Amino acid sequence: MKDNIFIKGACEHNLKNIDVEIPRDKFVVITGLSGSGKSSLAFDTIYAEGQRRYVESLSAYARQFLGLMEKPEVEYIEGLSPAISIDQKTTSRNPRSTVGTVTEIFDYFRLLFARIGIPHCPQCGQEISLQTIDQMVDRILALEEGTKIQLLAPVVRGRKGEYHKLIQDAKKAGYVRLRVDGQVIDINDEIELDKNKKHTIEIVVDRLILKNDIQKRLSDSIETVLHLSGGTLVVDVIGKEEIMFNQNFACNDCGISIEELAPRNFSFNTPYGACPVCSGLGTLLEIDPEILLADKSKTLAQGAIQAGGWNFESEDSYARSYLEALATHYNFNIDTPIEKLPKHIIDKILYGTNGEKINVTYNRENGSGTFVTAFEGVITSMERRYKETKSEDMKKYYEQYMSNNPCPECHKKVLQSL
Amino acid sequence: MSVSNVNEFFSGLTLNDREMKIANQILKEITARVKFLVDVGLDYLTLSRSAGTLSGGEAQRIRLATQIGSGLMGVLYILDEPSIGLHQRDNERLLHSLERLRDLGNTLIVVEHDEDTMYAADYIIDMGPEAGVHGGEVVATGTVEDIKKNAKSLTGQYLSGMKKIEIPETRRESNGKILEIIGAKENNLKNVSVRFPLGIFVCITGVSGSGKSSLINEILYKKLASSLNRAKCKPGRHDMILGLEHLDKVIDIDQSPIGRTPRSNPATYTGVFDIIRELFASTTDSKMRGYKQGRFSFNVKGGRCEACSGDGIIKIEMHFLPDVYVPCEVCKGKRYNRETLEVRYKGKNISDILNMTVEDALTFFENIPKINRKLQTLLDVGLGYIKLGQPSTTLSGGEAQRIKLATELSKRSTGKTLYILDEPTTGLHMADVHKLIEVLQRLVDAGNSIVVIEHNLDVIKTSDYIIDLGPEGGDKGGLIVAEGTPEQISRCKESYTGHFLNKILINS
Repeated sequence: MKDNIFIKGACEHNLKNIDVEIPRDKFVVITGLSGSGKSSLAFDTIYAEGQRRYVESLSAYARQFLGLMEKPEVEYIEGLSPAISIDQKTTSRNPRSTVGTVTEIFDYFRLLFARIGIPHCPQCGQEISLQTIDQMVDRILALEEGTKIQLLAPVVRGRKGEYHKLIQDAKKAGYVRLRVDGQVIDINDEIELDKNKKHTIEIVVDRLILKNDIQKRLSDSIETVLHLSGGTLVVDVIGKEEIMFNQNFACNDCGISIEELAPRNFSFNTPYGACPVCSGLGTLLEIDPEILLADKSKTLAQGAIQAGGWNFESEDSYARSYLEALATHYNFNIDTPIEKLPKHIIDKILYGTNGEKINVTYNRENGSGTFVTAFEGVITSMERRYKETKSEDMKKYYEQYMSNNPCPECHKKVLQSL
Repeated sequence: MSVSNVNEFFSGLTLNDREMKIANQILKEITARVKFLVDVGLDYLTLSRSAGTLSGGEAQRIRLATQIGSGLMGVLYILDEPSIGLHQRDNERLLHSLERLRDLGNTLIVVEHDEDTMYAADYIIDMGPEAGVHGGEVVATGTVEDIKKNAKSLTGQYLSGMKKIEIPETRRESNGKILEIIGAKENNLKNVSVRFPLGIFVCITGVSGSGKSSLINEILYKKLASSLNRAKCKPGRHDMILGLEHLDKVIDIDQSPIGRTPRSNPATYTGVFDIIRELFASTTDSKMRGYKQGRFSFNVKGGRCEACSGDGIIKIEMHFLPDVYVPCEVCKGKRYNRETLEVRYKGKNISDILNMTVEDALTFFENIPKINRKLQTLLDVGLGYIKLGQPSTTLSGGEAQRIKLATELSKRSTGKTLYILDEPTTGLHMADVHKLIEVLQRLVDAGNSIVVIEHNLDVIKTSDYIIDLGPEGGDKGGLIVAEGTPEQISRCKESYTGHFLNKILINS
């Protein structure tokens, strides 16, 4: 291999037909005044040529995606290696790109969490685990011989309702006992459930006394239970504690089931992992009241709301009619400075009356009148318009009033609760 | 979680056998990557930090970390000023990573102005002798010692100390007015209150991630911009700012391009082109033909060449081949139509003027004080070599910054302006830094105030007042370590900046 990179006759930009020799495998610094041609030599000549030669070795089809670099103005370069440029401009402005993703550390973290992470219930924080039927059987058989057990299939868990049909179906399927709210009852008894109370109903699938030879029956019954309940099994050990088993990733108490952990659950870039409110960005672009009401010593009538239309500039705007109507309805004065208005009034102005109707009187050149309507709120209205508009300029206009705020749902944690 | 926390987390992690088997590979990858990040001095970053908010230097070092991790050899790496935005202390760590990359068997070409990097390099190529049309040649090559001995090399002159940026004899006194931020809490700032004396050159220092930018860009600039310049932006978290009445405007001078279209150029940006067009419109030729100023603009219909709509070049799209730019065949790249070009002032037409360098234009227009004054400031900031009509897209960041400074200098100073600069020496050679400092000092002499975030010791030592943040980056930062004149800071034991400053002040 050659010891030097030899550049002959470089004329790119302001380079004056220069010949340069650069030692290989060395740490070389190119220096000079700003604008003296350092970058022209390093990037526009050496890197460009290295890149161009590499790209040219690819097929014409692949090349169209890469974009061919122009041949730099140089006679020839000898001893060139493939070039990698590490400049400062290539940072992605995409908010989804983070230190973690750029360094790929994040990808490994996702893998790690998915493979050896222990899922916890998002509601109660209990550990969630899963078992196969074989594991359940082994666990039950490990109990003391002679223990009496009942295999229960929880079908209703803490929900209101009478469940006539469900009980009837269970009866038709041939089950004889139910456990309702902890009481074992005969299915043929008259069962009256209070519609307005929460109930837990479990079907008693099998009752067993532990012996050596029950393994086959046990696993058959467990299968039936799991089928009935959609994956959970309650083993009522008579005289002792109940044992819960789960075939799926689901919380025994809350019944919330989750998918099997996969790396994608830990990515804030897929709907499987991202917080649904901010779609994984951690911040929401929202109209900021601080910007909208920049000068709090102003009154509504003096144009405290800076956004176009709401600033009381024109005598007969609808916006003005709305604000005046709000003032009458909620009994405040449009000549009070914003800072003196109570918070709930400002909320009404900014975020709407929440369905409450107000009487709006309008007086315009082409007629006047009154109508009754709910007010959607200044900010709500602006955000709606921002989403609906197709004009880039209008979007920019509304963005002036917006700022990035931490997402209220995930508090910048970016991921769904899991 | 910050990178250094990740490191601690994994060293404290215990797993059972089964988990260990699964996680082994993953852990190896993570720890390796984390280690590279620590090596390049980025341990204060959090993994969730959005890539868009990283500084150019940080992003570059992340890529560097990834490359070192790849373990390739025989590759040619080309880096653009990796030391940017690094405190002297972190710089040493960066140099070690670069040396590692070389020792793996790769060639490194680094475009750099930093002295330490040059001392660490095996071979230096010095370009010059000056910038633009006066540059483009190799002035000197060799090791640091070779460069130092070369009398022709400007870099060598600075390295050997033949030329240097002088430390001012006396520090300026503040005009007594003070701007005070109370209770700054943005990002990692720990409820600090900072006093900025006005009318002098204030320098904000501190290691990377110590909260300099949060304090200046997020709080100070945004607050001032929204109250003085009526900008719509939300300042970072703080309790209040006192002393706003001493200022009437705030100007942020960064290295962002002065215009993204080729239609913007130094002449249009500084406003000198308007005066030149006025001048052309007032010639007898123009008056006879009835040409107004607009006739001499290449941006509106009338005087410009319609074939290229005033661009002078035509872009031909070649689909999967790169776009080709050809000079417009109608105007031959002159951007104007024939009739307009017939109007001449002192024998030159408007297109000739655009092709003049600032130096040439200065002598050409020496009798027109209005033009002369603006061009003089461009020359003062060291931009004598740029052409008036050079599209702003072809200007470097440092050049764009100096054009902005020149425009500010040519304005009549109110003496109540605050200039904020975030690392203005980025991409500047020692000689350029020298010029920049002179320009900044002139702005202060006119009664204005300057707040500069800077790592460059040459700038720090010439400032009047230093506010040093730290002590470390990230969570361990956000406090004020020291404030005072450079002499006072250099005596402060806790301040890293003071430590490095001390060496310099003693040496001279």
